[in-house]
Amino acid sequence: MANGMNRISWLGTSPRNAFMLAGLVALLVLLPLFLGQSWLSITTEMLILALAASSLNIMLGYTGMVSFGPAGIYAVGAYTTGVFMEKLGIGIVPAVLAAPVMAGIIGFLVGWICVRRSAVYFALLTLAFSQIIWTVVFQWYSVTGGDDGLVSVPVPDFFFEITNCYYFMLAVVSVCLFIIWKIVNSPFGMTLQAIRENPNRVEFIGVNVKHYQLASFVISSVFLGIAGSMHCVFSGSAFPDYAYWVKSADMLVICLLGGIYNFFGPLVGTVVYTVLTKVISEYTMHWHLVLGGIIVLIILAMRKGVVGTLANYWANRKSAAA
Amino acid sequence: MTFEAFAGQTLAGVSLGMVWFLIAAGLSIIFGTLKILNLAHGSLYMLGSFCCYQVTVSLAHVAGNFWIGVLVAPIVVALVGGVIEVFLLRPIYKAEMIYQYILTFALVLIIGEACKMIWGVGYHSVQVPWPFQGSIGVFGLSFPSYNFFLIAMGPLVFIGLRTLINKTDLGRNIRAVTENREMANALGTNVPRVYTGVFMLGAWLAGLAGSLWPPVSVVALGSDMAVVIDCFIIVVIGGLGSLAGAFVGAIILGLTTAFGLYLIPKLAVAFGFILMIIILLIRPYGLMGEPE
Amino acid sequence: MSNTFKAFGMMLATAALVAVIGLAPTTVLAEKPPIKIGFIHTMSGPISMYGISSAAGAKVAVDEINAAGGVLGRKLELIVRDDKISPDTGLREAKDLVLKEKVDFLAGTISSGVGLAISNYAKRAKKIYLINIAQSTKITEENFHPYVFRFTTNSTPYFGKGPAIALANTYKSKKIIVLGYDYETGKNSLKEFKDTYLKLVPDAKFIDELWVPLGTTDFTAYIAKMANSGADCFYLAAIYGGGELAFTKQAWSFGLYDKMKAVQPCAGDVETWSKVKQGDPYPKDALATCRYPFWAIKGEKNAEFAKKVREMTDLWPAYGALDAYIIMYAIKDAVTKAGSTDTQKVIKAMENLTMDTFVGKIKMRAFDHQAMMPTWYGIMRFTPDLPFPHITDVGELGEDSYHTIEQIKKIRGK
Repeated sequence: MANGMNRISWLGTSPRNAFMLAGLVALLVLLPLFLGQSWLSITTEMLILALAASSLNIMLGYTGMVSFGPAGIYAVGAYTTGVFMEKLGIGIVPAVLAAPVMAGIIGFLVGWICVRRSAVYFALLTLAFSQIIWTVVFQWYSVTGGDDGLVSVPVPDFFFEITNCYYFMLAVVSVCLFIIWKIVNSPFGMTLQAIRENPNRVEFIGVNVKHYQLASFVISSVFLGIAGSMHCVFSGSAFPDYAYWVKSADMLVICLLGGIYNFFGPLVGTVVYTVLTKVISEYTMHWHLVLGGIIVLIILAMRKGVVGTLANYWANRKSAAA
Repeated sequence: MTFEAFAGQTLAGVSLGMVWFLIAAGLSIIFGTLKILNLAHGSLYMLGSFCCYQVTVSLAHVAGNFWIGVLVAPIVVALVGGVIEVFLLRPIYKAEMIYQYILTFALVLIIGEACKMIWGVGYHSVQVPWPFQGSIGVFGLSFPSYNFFLIAMGPLVFIGLRTLINKTDLGRNIRAVTENREMANALGTNVPRVYTGVFMLGAWLAGLAGSLWPPVSVVALGSDMAVVIDCFIIVVIGGLGSLAGAFVGAIILGLTTAFGLYLIPKLAVAFGFILMIIILLIRPYGLMGEPE
Repeated sequence: MSNTFKAFGMMLATAALVAVIGLAPTTVLAEKPPIKIGFIHTMSGPISMYGISSAAGAKVAVDEINAAGGVLGRKLELIVRDDKISPDTGLREAKDLVLKEKVDFLAGTISSGVGLAISNYAKRAKKIYLINIAQSTKITEENFHPYVFRFTTNSTPYFGKGPAIALANTYKSKKIIVLGYDYETGKNSLKEFKDTYLKLVPDAKFIDELWVPLGTTDFTAYIAKMANSGADCFYLAAIYGGGELAFTKQAWSFGLYDKMKAVQPCAGDVETWSKVKQGDPYPKDALATCRYPFWAIKGEKNAEFAKKVREMTDLWPAYGALDAYIIMYAIKDAVTKAGSTDTQKVIKAMENLTMDTFVGKIKMRAFDHQAMMPTWYGIMRFTPDLPFPHITDVGELGEDSYHTIEQIKKIRGK
């Protein structure tokens, strides 16, 4: 299946990389100075989406589990925060903290069943669970607001100021990404990648593959829950759409656009996807057609995604020069 | 529940199940042979509906225009399927699962938008064709005769497919490739051609279902994903790759839906999924599937 | 292996570049800045006919107003955005319109979920938002705020109270069976319908209620039950669009329309039936409500409007177009009356607005910011005038088909 090229790149510790990282952080911190409010708001959304896609990629890229249902868990996070604040009158801090806990619990229950099956059955089970979550959200009118969703979550006015919201999200997302980074590059993360490459061999050396897959599922769920919760804080609302399969497809496409065998893939994928859909839909009402065409092209021509393809290009140039 | 209601739900469930069976059968055969889960199968179904609608409109004054549509539309869909297989799927058979999913997902977007560009938004209607306009009384309950026709179509297609697979050369090749691709290749079977053939057959079935359903319902955008998710449930219940499984799964889901709607409408949407989860836990490869 | 980083850095630079290009200031040459209206609607996807039609109606009005010299010497500028029927996209477009385009008003859309999301944003951003099409009473009742106005009927006259009054005026059926989509709007519609109808026709009975999941298009099993129920009339609760079309076809093969009377609240609007031809199944003799029976409204202005919309969109003029047209004139009237586009002043002016339109006088009710738009009803038939089935023997419902202020106070108090 995957060959050596697909190994997930290590973050080197050379001064140049540290410099790049510092530059990136500085750019993001200074962004509000030269970005208009509307684009800043879109960037904030991108941060949240990037976190969601990176969470999914723990399963997808690192453990090799194709989930069709990340949106279900994402919605659990969003609705936990939303329901706590709007319906139960609980403050924002406990409401936000409850989201990853709830998402983790649901993720454990769903994951416990799903990891019993592999490949296509796993994918379809995750789809089934996310659609069940969608049904519950859609039908449980008294709690979730049904098809109208929760629209007046009493988020403090502080977050309505887009610059504040942006910095808050930047902080939360950076911390989460850092933790994800640490996890996937720990020995535990290495085992996940080994499972992706060859589950039988890993099982053979005495590792309980199912336990690791479940752990990956739960960790992914926890971060998806945080992303969902942040979305609720950002928009002051939660909608059944969050749990719908279309949202899952969006996340999968984002991971794929950026490249799933790369920590930065989902981040870049988010930027590309958001800008792409926005730009295309400004020019044509038939944006589905264009988007579909682009996805087909990417799969046929640059399957490693944007980051993977560029990384390979550089590697090749370097070896050619040497 | 009265006996009338019971009979009514049963007939409704089975007639819906039989249309699903046509689509699920194609999905299952394609998965069995090509090992690709075609997310765009519902789109092919929708395309069939629109094509059939187009024929009934273009030949508005021709007697039996609907039946011409039923003949023509699935062929058009099969040709589209052939193009998809040769140009888009063939390059990615060796790629990982996710790429195949996303590619077929992109096809959902493309076919959906293409249908919108050609036929526009709004609801299109195809009339119940001669000679099935009326109702037939059974068990003291009158039920549209067209639904009986649909119920009859299911077993007919099932038997036809069984014969095709078990008795013909094409069927032998399909079985050989499904069984062992390398071996079949070594023994001189033209594997790519079998793949194309199987995909076209699956697309034809989706197109047939798409042509047959409109007289009962409407032709509209958005029917693609609704139907494909139901068909996923069916093939998983029955076992991916198994024709008989698709048949049994379709009847089970049809009945579950009909009676679920009747008893607990609020959760009816989730019934199919719950059923699928239970069956997967008890029988990992579905009711009739075999471990890979 | 720093290649990843390099690639990532390059991507980031590109993204930044794209962002900067996106920000490039648009030069404005007009003498006086236009009054900008952000019009968010569902312009793509399966139900985009509503958005396309509404945008056309708005455009007709804006062109007329501008040709007549604009408002306070300023032109109206319509900026149309697609919400893709997703609350998130709607919210994003609303933000973009307010923050980047600096619009003075927001208007649209069809989905109540999207409408509520935009409404909630409008409240926080302190922008006036004029609802076009979205029906949920929640918008003007439970979730009311001073910045939201609706120049469209809401679900009360359309689905519930209106049809009840209409049925009491026409068929006066006694034994009613109900089929509805199982969600809040469906349940509320039935409640309104039942409460109103039982007051008007006290000896009527509701013999059964059948509920199906939202989005169902196969009703065969239910129709079998309805046909054998012994009812003399059925009422559809919030089953509309494709679902209604499918229902009608299935009910037709059961001969349901010959067995009993039908109340199909949505059947009067043209979107659903415009492609149904003579001889096809249609809701025969059904009592239906309609929000713009352009064929039944007298006057040259109406005919001219209908013709323009038809030419622009190739669709039959629908209520979305009419309501969007009225919204643009409401903006004109309110801004003229207020003498500026100052939000608070315009709100005051709009609250006390009474407009003379080609469908009659339209009064804004200050209490809930709901315009008392008329709803029409009639019996579905084919006539030689139009190629599709439409309401005939048209009657009009006014303010009494809406919730009373007392009722709303009670709902809000809950």
